[in-house]
Amino acid sequence: MSSKDEILAAIRRNIKTTYDLPEIKPEGDGYTDKIKQFTEVSRSVAANVVVLQEGEDLNQCIRALYPEAATVASNLPEITIQTIDPDKVETPHQLNGTMLGIVKGEFGVAENGCVWIPQNVKEKAVYFISEYLVILLNKTNIVNNMHEAYEKLHTYDYGFGVFISGPSKTADIEQALVVGAHGAKGVTTILI
Amino acid sequence: MNLQQTQWHNATLWMVRKKRDNLAMQIPEWEELRRLASQIKMHTLSHLDRYLVQFTDNAEANGAIVHWAKDADEHNAIVLDILNRHKARKLVKSKSMLTEECHLNPFLEANGIEVVESDLGERILQLMHAAPSHIVMPAIHLKRQEVGKLFEDKLHTEKDNSDPTYLTRAARQHLRNEFLTADASMTGANFAVADTGEIVVCTNEGNADMGTSFAPLHIVSVGIEKMAPNHSALGVFTRLLARSATGQPSTTYTSHYRKPRQGCEMHIVLVDNGRSKTLGNEAHQQALKCIRCGACMNTCPVYRRKGGYAYSYFIPGPIGINLGMLKSPKKYANNVSACSLCYSCNQVCPVQVDLADQIYSWRQQLDSIGKANKIKKIISTGLTCLFTRPRLYNNILKLAPVINHIPRFLIYNRLNGWGKGREMPPFAKESFTQMWKKGKVKK
Ligand code: SF4
Repeated sequence: MSSKDEILAAIRRNIKTTYDLPEIKPEGDGYTDKIKQFTEVSRSVAANVVVLQEGEDLNQCIRALYPEAATVASNLPEITIQTIDPDKVETPHQLNGTMLGIVKGEFGVAENGCVWIPQNVKEKAVYFISEYLVILLNKTNIVNNMHEAYEKLHTYDYGFGVFISGPSKTADIEQALVVGAHGAKGVTTILI
Repeated sequence: MNLQQTQWHNATLWMVRKKRDNLAMQIPEWEELRRLASQIKMHTLSHLDRYLVQFTDNAEANGAIVHWAKDADEHNAIVLDILNRHKARKLVKSKSMLTEECHLNPFLEANGIEVVESDLGERILQLMHAAPSHIVMPAIHLKRQEVGKLFEDKLHTEKDNSDPTYLTRAARQHLRNEFLTADASMTGANFAVADTGEIVVCTNEGNADMGTSFAPLHIVSVGIEKMAPNHSALGVFTRLLARSATGQPSTTYTSHYRKPRQGCEMHIVLVDNGRSKTLGNEAHQQALKCIRCGACMNTCPVYRRKGGYAYSYFIPGPIGINLGMLKSPKKYANNVSACSLCYSCNQVCPVQVDLADQIYSWRQQLDSIGKANKIKKIISTGLTCLFTRPRLYNNILKLAPVINHIPRFLIYNRLNGWGKGREMPPFAKESFTQMWKKGKVKK
């Protein structure tokens, strides 16, 4: 008997009582102002949220936020300030040294500040190795909580996808919060 | 731990517990979520065979390679075999309690593989050749100066600089190099979703993601109890996990691995190692619901003061006491006394594991596994004799104040565990019954 069969047999032998799957519809009010809630909670986890104003130029807006970023990685057609295309690198290692990554998020979650990014570049490394990350998000695409988020997730076909809420962080030394562990040291979500 | 360390440890974990309370209170339906999470887990565990098969079929359809391991040895052998087939010499790992449980690192190292832990806390401990003392905050027992000294020695940081930001940046630099040069990456799994065949990994540092973004091989070690039926179940778990663990609204990264990276391989090792046996133990099967958030440790008055190294099982705190007993009652029975039965753990556990009830139940079984404490047995037989004879009890109680005048060596001895490291309170001159009879007690 293979290990698989042995494990399954042991499980079947040992289950004595079975339980039903509950209906997952927890009560909960939605947020009246999802953008406000998303912005507040994002800031509480050290992320920056900026609303692109009527007539404001996106590339100029990003430049103003990160004036010193010499290497900028993006595969988005609306971005003109990029210096590397993460779709064109041969190995993800070539993205090492990226100062700024600019990527597209599909929707945000008001309750916890997460943004859903199904892999939409050749090398997902760009989400993590960039020193700073800008996420573009359509401000009408913000859901209330993770239940709604996972309902929406069903509609995406992805090999890899990630919810990102703010910059990477650690408190492993004496519980002192340090922003910028292995991933981005700063994240700005631009609501468009 | 010395007194100062104890006080710091206690206060710091209590701070984490309070952060958890604040974040939990932001969600009005919190208690409903805990109930749902518990029910989803009980359902999944009681249909585990079905979900494991469904998960495997879907993961294979996604292009992953699934392995099954009955125990730690088989798990370790499978991992080594995968690494050898790929001629991988350097493995970069993100945090996984399961690989601790299997003692994977020493096994791989003995077989010529260089293993690099990439979670900051885990890396610190690896460089110190020490074990984690908490499942979420592995290096919580260390002071910054100790880390500073270690990094001075191993990473050549500045002398006497123990600033956490400086040290974290040094580790970032050092580990980035490891990520870029590793031949393989390994992660654990917070959840494995049956109906999509995907693995979900939650981190704050982004180390799991860095590892899997560069190495051409990704190995996932996952305990069979980590199954979740579908995405709606994840909606419940992800709302609970980070709030319970560290008092954050969410972990920074909640990564969903469905397919291997282009041109790469993804292997998933499903590990039993005693879990199927626990399923058959109805009094203790709820321990399998655990999502390893660590909240029961942060709230535990014993853990907070004693720290993780006071327990003999590698997972400390209330859940560790129970998992240890499930592993080997004979070996880990001493841990069951590290509990005051305050039931705080039951209150905070996001999946409603009946932690304190289980510890109580293990204590009842100590005699039958031959692990009852002899001194406590003498005392409790004596007390039973006393409590069932009211006259004798009252007479003895009248004598209690006499103890206030007895020589110290008669009071502070081996039979009196309470006298160890603390002063005994003086006995009152009159017993409650005497005062009651004289009308001295006001209602
Ligand atoms: S038993 Fe509950 S509180 Fe303790 S680590 Fe597991 S899930 Fe968290």
